[in-house]
Amino acid sequence: MRLQLSSLVRVLIGRGHRRNASARVAGAVGFCLASALSSIGPFVPAAHAQVVQVDTAHTFYHEAPTRTNMTVYTPGVDVAATPAEWITVRGGYEADVVSGASVATKAGPAYQSVNPGVDVITTASVNDLRHSPRGGFTLRKGDVAYTASYTYGTENDYRSHSLFIGARTDAYDHNTQLEISYARNFDSVCDRVQAVNDTPPRFRALEDSSGCFSDDALRRRRPLSIDGFQASWTQAWTPTFATQLVYTAQILDGFQSNPYRSIIVAQGLKAQEHHPEVRVRQALALRFNWYLRPIKVALRVTGRVYRDTWDITSGTGELEAERYLLEGLRVSARGRFYRQTGALFWSDDYTGGDLPLGPKGQYFTGDRELSPFWSLGLGLRATYMIHPTPKPEGGRSRLLGIFTHAKLGASADAIQFDYDEYTLAGIPITNARAYILGATAGAAF
Amino acid sequence: MRVDGVRATVLAVVLAVGSVLAGCSTVQPQQRSVLADPIMQFEGDPQASAQLRHAIDNREGSYGGAGVAGGGCGCN
Repeated sequence: MRLQLSSLVRVLIGRGHRRNASARVAGAVGFCLASALSSIGPFVPAAHAQVVQVDTAHTFYHEAPTRTNMTVYTPGVDVAATPAEWITVRGGYEADVVSGASVATKAGPAYQSVNPGVDVITTASVNDLRHSPRGGFTLRKGDVAYTASYTYGTENDYRSHSLFIGARTDAYDHNTQLEISYARNFDSVCDRVQAVNDTPPRFRALEDSSGCFSDDALRRRRPLSIDGFQASWTQAWTPTFATQLVYTAQILDGFQSNPYRSIIVAQGLKAQEHHPEVRVRQALALRFNWYLRPIKVALRVTGRVYRDTWDITSGTGELEAERYLLEGLRVSARGRFYRQTGALFWSDDYTGGDLPLGPKGQYFTGDRELSPFWSLGLGLRATYMIHPTPKPEGGRSRLLGIFTHAKLGASADAIQFDYDEYTLAGIPITNARAYILGATAGAAF
Repeated sequence: MRVDGVRATVLAVVLAVGSVLAGCSTVQPQQRSVLADPIMQFEGDPQASAQLRHAIDNREGSYGGAGVAGGGCGCN
C-alpha cells in the first residue's frame, strides 16, 4: 500500500515518465479502492426507503464571434431509485445538438500581410448530434458509500466509453467528508487516412464525417485514453461555515487535435492541426461556503489553480451569493473571472513574423482555447423547491397525490472572452461572447 | 526533483495540519440546520452544474477542480 501510494504521489507531482503515468495512476487508485471495498464485507439490507428521483436539465449555449457561430442544446434526464437504504441505482441520458460554423483553415497576420487581398480563413458548417446514455449504482454501509458508473458517448466522429468508481466517507462526527474517485475513458476519434510517406506538416484535414467508424478505406480510428483522479475534502468548521478542497489529475494519451482544422504552416503549405499526444493536467480548488446570518445570505468563494504539461497555467476566481426570497424560492448571483497562459506550442502564425509569432517546435494548433486569454462571466439562478402542504390529520402528504417534493430551476449566464493573441488572419476577435441558458426540473416519489 | 520534494513536503504538512484541525471541529448534529439547508450545498444542483461546466470546459484550456456534492453537514 505504501509503495503504491508513493508511486501515485510521484506521478501526480512529477512530470517524468509520462507514458507510464496513466498505468501508475490507474494501478494506485484501483488498489486503494479495491482495498477499501474488500474491507467492508457484505452489505446488509436496511429499512426500505423506496424513493425514486427524476431530474431533467436543459442547457442552451450560443456564441457568434467574428465569422463563426455555435449553438448547442443539451438536454438530459436522470432517474435514481433507492429501493433500500443501502443501494441506489441510477440511469440517465444526455445529448448535445450542435449546429454552427467553425474555423476550418487558420492563418495569422504574417501570412496575410504577404498575401493581401486573399481571404485565407475558411469556415465549415458543423452539424452533429451526440448521444450519451449512462448508468450506475451506489452502495452504502454506515458512513461509507461506493459508486460505480458507466457512460457511453457516440457521435458521427467520436466514440467514448467511460468507467467511474468512487468512494466517500464521513469522519469526526460527520463534520468531515472525504471522497476519492477514478475515471477511465476509452475513446476513439475519426480521422483521415494519410499518405504513407507523409509527415504531420503534410497531413490533410478530415473533410467530413462520412465513412467514420465504418469499413471506409479512407477513414481510420485514432485512440484516446483518459485517466482521471479526484480527491476532495469537505469540512464543516462552524454551524455556518464550511470549506471544500478538491484536487484533480488527468492524463490524456492519444489523438487530441481537431481533425477538421487546418493550419497554414508555411507559404503554400496547409496541414492538419497537430497536437502532442500526451497531456498531464492538474487542478487544485478551494471553496468557502459561509452563511451570513444578519443578512441571511450564503456566500460562496472559489479559487482554482491549474497547470498542465502543455505549459498552460490558469487561475479562476468565483463569487456567488444566494438567499431565499420566499419560502422555497432562492436566488443567486454569481461572477467568475478566468485567466490562462498559452500552450508552449501556441502561435497565431506559424509562417513567421516578429515574436510571439513563428514556429514553436514540431506542433501547431489553431485552437483559441490553447491561446492566452481571459474571460469574465456573470450569471443568475433561481430555484424553487415545492413541498406538499402537511395534512391536518397527520400522515404523509404528496403533491398531486404522487410526489413527495419537486424542484424547478432556471439560470442565465453570459461570458465575455478576451484573446491576447488569437486572430483570424490578423483580425482580432472582439465579440467573443457566450450566452448560456439553463432550466431544470426534478421530483421525487 | 528538489522542487518536487518541497512540494510533496508542503502538501504533506498541509494535509497533516488540516486533518488535526478537522478533528477539532465540534459542530453538533443539532447545530447543523443551516449546513443541511440546500442553500449551503457546494453543488446544489449537480446535473445543471455539470452541464454548465461542460459548456465552459469546451471554451477553456483548463479542466478539473469541480465541486462535489455535500455541504459539510454529514447528511448526504
